[in-house]
Amino acid sequence: MDMLKITGLYKHFGDKEVLKGLDLTVPEGSIFGFIGKNGAGKTTTMKTVLGLLKADSGEIEVAGERVVYGQTATNRYIGYLPDVPEFYSFMNASEYLAFCGEITGMDRAEIAARSSELLELVGLQNEKHRIRGFSRGMKQRLGIAQALLNRPRLLICDEPTSALDPVGRKEILDILLAVRKQTTVLFSTHILSDVERICTDVALLGEGNISIEGKLSDIKTGYRRDEYTILTESRSDSEILCDTFSGITCDDQGILHFSESSHAHVEILRFICDRNISILKIERTEPTLESLFMEVIDK
Amino acid sequence: MSNLAAFIRKEVTEHIRSGKITILVVIFIILGIMNPAIAKLTPWLLETMADTLAESGMTVTEVTVSALDSWVQFFKNLPMGLIAFILFESNSFSKEYQSGTLVLSLTKGLKRHTVVTAKAIVISTLWSALYWLSFGITYAYNAYFWDNGIAQSLLFSVVCGWLIGVFAVALAVFFSTVAKSNTGVLMGIGTIFVLSYILSVIPKLNEYLPTRLLDGNSLIYGKSSPKDYAAALILTLAVIVVSFIASIPIFNKKQL
Repeated sequence: MDMLKITGLYKHFGDKEVLKGLDLTVPEGSIFGFIGKNGAGKTTTMKTVLGLLKADSGEIEVAGERVVYGQTATNRYIGYLPDVPEFYSFMNASEYLAFCGEITGMDRAEIAARSSELLELVGLQNEKHRIRGFSRGMKQRLGIAQALLNRPRLLICDEPTSALDPVGRKEILDILLAVRKQTTVLFSTHILSDVERICTDVALLGEGNISIEGKLSDIKTGYRRDEYTILTESRSDSEILCDTFSGITCDDQGILHFSESSHAHVEILRFICDRNISILKIERTEPTLESLFMEVIDK
Repeated sequence: MSNLAAFIRKEVTEHIRSGKITILVVIFIILGIMNPAIAKLTPWLLETMADTLAESGMTVTEVTVSALDSWVQFFKNLPMGLIAFILFESNSFSKEYQSGTLVLSLTKGLKRHTVVTAKAIVISTLWSALYWLSFGITYAYNAYFWDNGIAQSLLFSVVCGWLIGVFAVALAVFFSTVAKSNTGVLMGIGTIFVLSYILSVIPKLNEYLPTRLLDGNSLIYGKSSPKDYAAALILTLAVIVVSFIASIPIFNKKQL
């Protein structure tokens, strides 16, 4: 089942068209990485899903139910963590979770049990100070705790790791990975290493619509172009290869690059064998998310 | 219902922990004490200034003060208290818009009308408590020093004063759902009051305008009677009800 389905979403601010017919499908049980550069429209998309922004046109369904702007009933399925979560700073963490529990209509015993469980998950169980004194990382962790409080079926996190140091980032990613069994996670980011670390599915947001979408593994296979790298033991051998095959290029580190379209790799291997060239490495290169991302942006 | 209670509790906690309540209570206690104090001190003040006044040709004869002088002060200080109150409370919504704290509550399924209702209840209750506290203090001192009995239609006149506060609260809630910033809210309330003052120059209109309710002095001196205030009272009540009701659909459509 699809946890979130967006079809033909349009949104403009003034004369700037941010979303141009965006389509997106988030399957249930996935950790979905929503990638795009700053200003691409990630936050706009998420806020529209939450009914905080009114779409110009398009349909959004959460757990099969249509999203309505304003009084958004579908929000009961969603836990949301904004990019900079702001809490009532005069409360402490457990008071805030109790407040959240009360406004969602949970009973006291459930609030108490769930709060302590979540505060432990995010490592704030011993934090008695008011939120006023929390660091960014602590606020993000409390943000995840509040988002998970009423066991949402979809957890939406807007750039949860962008403003954090490496330790804070790792903590957040570990938490997201840990909650995967409980909920579907949709998180936006421009940090590609985070995506490669935890995501099962990704979508790349280009010029107002999705350029690439699917399982991370499928995308990597699908975009695998037949490119190879060769590293020879001696520099002179690499020069011989370069001179013989016009399609081979040599970079600064002496690594040779070529693609199947210019020369069949068996042909080159045969040449290497014939000349007794000693090689350190020959590799078919996997596309990195970064190369895909750059490709999408350049388009 | 339980989430309304939860939001009200949050509002009250915020008022207590931010120290807002303490400051407002102190202000209204001071205002309550000031009214009889000024009345009590007037003869003494005039006496000490008698020499200076004599030089400019004025002679001070025996000055007698009564509860009426204290009540005159009460109605004179009322706008001051109201302005202080509104300055403290007008950012109730805009503060949350700017910090984004409402976003989390609303995405957790809190109904938007609950936010408006809870804030309206808390702010009007707080106004009522502070107003009647200030009134109580003045009343008690007046009863001790003089006799409150000489003030005519006293209860009616102070109810009018209280209602003008509720009117300002209703406007604050209404403009908070329309405007995004605190400045917008204050300008909205200010505009309505200024308009009401300007229009009150026209005698025919004056009896309908909310600001007429601030004129408690004519009532206690018996220069006018409660029925002269009926039109203004009804119009004010109508604006209060309409403002509160209208703010809910507006807030429902507000982009946060």
